[in-house]
Amino acid sequence: MALVAVGAGGLLVGTGSLDDPKFRALFLELRGLRFVAALVAGAGLAGGGVLVQGLFRNPLASPSILGTTAGASLGGQLVLLLQPAGGSAGVGIRAEVLLGLGSVAGALAALMILLVLLQRRADRVTLLLTGFVLSTLLVAVGSFVVSIAQSRHELGRAVVAFTLGGLEGVGRSQLALALPLAGVGLVAAWRWSGPLDALLSGETEAASLGVDVVQARRWIVVWVALLTAAGVALGGNVAFVGLVVPHALRGLVGAEHRTLLPLAALGGGVFLAACDVAVRLAPGSGEVPLGVVTGLVGAPLFLYLLRRTGAG
Amino acid sequence: MSRAEIPLEARAVTVVRGGRPVVRDVSLTVSAGTVTGVLGPNGAGKSTLLLTLLGALPSGRREGRTAGSVSLEGRPLETWTAPERATRIAYVPQRTELSAPLSVASVVALGRHAHGQTRASERDPAVAAALDRAEVGALAGRRFDTLSGGERRRVLLARALATEARVLLLDEPAASLDVGHGLTMYAQLQALAADGYAIAVVLHDLDDALRFTDRALLLQEGRGVADGPTASVLSTARVASVYGVDMVPKAGLRFEARSGRP
Repeated sequence: MALVAVGAGGLLVGTGSLDDPKFRALFLELRGLRFVAALVAGAGLAGGGVLVQGLFRNPLASPSILGTTAGASLGGQLVLLLQPAGGSAGVGIRAEVLLGLGSVAGALAALMILLVLLQRRADRVTLLLTGFVLSTLLVAVGSFVVSIAQSRHELGRAVVAFTLGGLEGVGRSQLALALPLAGVGLVAAWRWSGPLDALLSGETEAASLGVDVVQARRWIVVWVALLTAAGVALGGNVAFVGLVVPHALRGLVGAEHRTLLPLAALGGGVFLAACDVAVRLAPGSGEVPLGVVTGLVGAPLFLYLLRRTGAG
Repeated sequence: MSRAEIPLEARAVTVVRGGRPVVRDVSLTVSAGTVTGVLGPNGAGKSTLLLTLLGALPSGRREGRTAGSVSLEGRPLETWTAPERATRIAYVPQRTELSAPLSVASVVALGRHAHGQTRASERDPAVAAALDRAEVGALAGRRFDTLSGGERRRVLLARALATEARVLLLDEPAASLDVGHGLTMYAQLQALAADGYAIAVVLHDLDDALRFTDRALLLQEGRGVADGPTASVLSTARVASVYGVDMVPKAGLRFEARSGRP
């Protein structure tokens, strides 16, 4: 029902009027693409959140808080920066595929760095602080990339647009890239539901239950990278979706990944699509960046969860 | 008895953790039909030895199991795959890290993972039998994170039984149980041993060790100082030497489990 309501909102709400028959089909197509993009990006980010929270046994973990989203964003930015002058950054199919690959590589690298840093100690406070520092570092490097990109006007615009994110103007080719990333990531992760459930007991107990922990960690990191990259490639560095949605649903449907993962993907999609409608309803001459709306909802909720669950 | 008939055996094992030898040249046989106690003061290496028997510690030159061998059914433990091991050795930790909102039935069903059953429910015969044997069938619909410490311990025993492994390794299984549930837990372990299970259990309480274990290994600063029938291992002189306390025969209160206790 929420999906239908948000879908209707996504199609009907916007700056252009649907009364004009000349533009109705065009507006509906653009808004439809934008709605589907919100579903895919939200599903990717929320699915990644489920996996990260399961992997670290920490309900306060998420791709954005642990630096994975910033890593994916930096990977995309670097790909844009390395495009040859006069190239079709962000326009041609090849450039967008490279952008997606850059995001996957960035997310993977960020997660690998985090896992190496947490080899000796991985309690809740250390995890959050390390993730925060890593995220801050990657955002700082990303800002540096943005400043370098300003030397070329078109490149600067492309990098800034990618960095700010948002679903405005999302195209079929972007969706064609992100949809397989999210689809493969979600289906593959769902097939690892059993090991993920066992890992909730910790690595020693999971191993005693027959889980190959090293292999499970390795593959789950790959699925997180695919899902986060799908979200970032479409919506940019959108925070809190991967934290809020899995956490809220876990309390309602339980922690079994076979159930939680698809519901979180659906919930994440609906949440992001609803935020995208709110973006269009906000007062002002232009659209508020999508990350601002998810942040306004997610940040207070995160603080509430932190207070409720404690720091230990 | 041939080596292949011995369920689990550690021979001359040395384990280093954090650069410090925690277990030194220790041997232990976990035999079918027997409850074997692993005893010793704090820091003696009991839990580390249990994890070594489980295969949870790596073997290496500087860290983990640095010397000796562990064999399962006569074969080196490291030659078994993770699922093969999990269907032969089950583990009940002293404290679980599991605090997620999973149902009790789902937690017990995790014991079927190594059998390739990733969607087992409480209707699965092995899960149902484990719930019944650990006397937690009434909790099957409850959420694990809402249970008391004692209830959680019994659910973890059920999860271990659902693996259908015949070797059980338990780390202080009665540590968070009240006296009644503690006695019931030990009675269950004795009944399992009578059914042919091979059980090794880390214990702190020497009175419990005397009452509920058949054999014992006494550790001191990582070394095995005595191994044999529990009553002979826990001699007055040895307890005084290892723990620095004097045994007082027939002192204090003694309790017995009631038959048919819920």
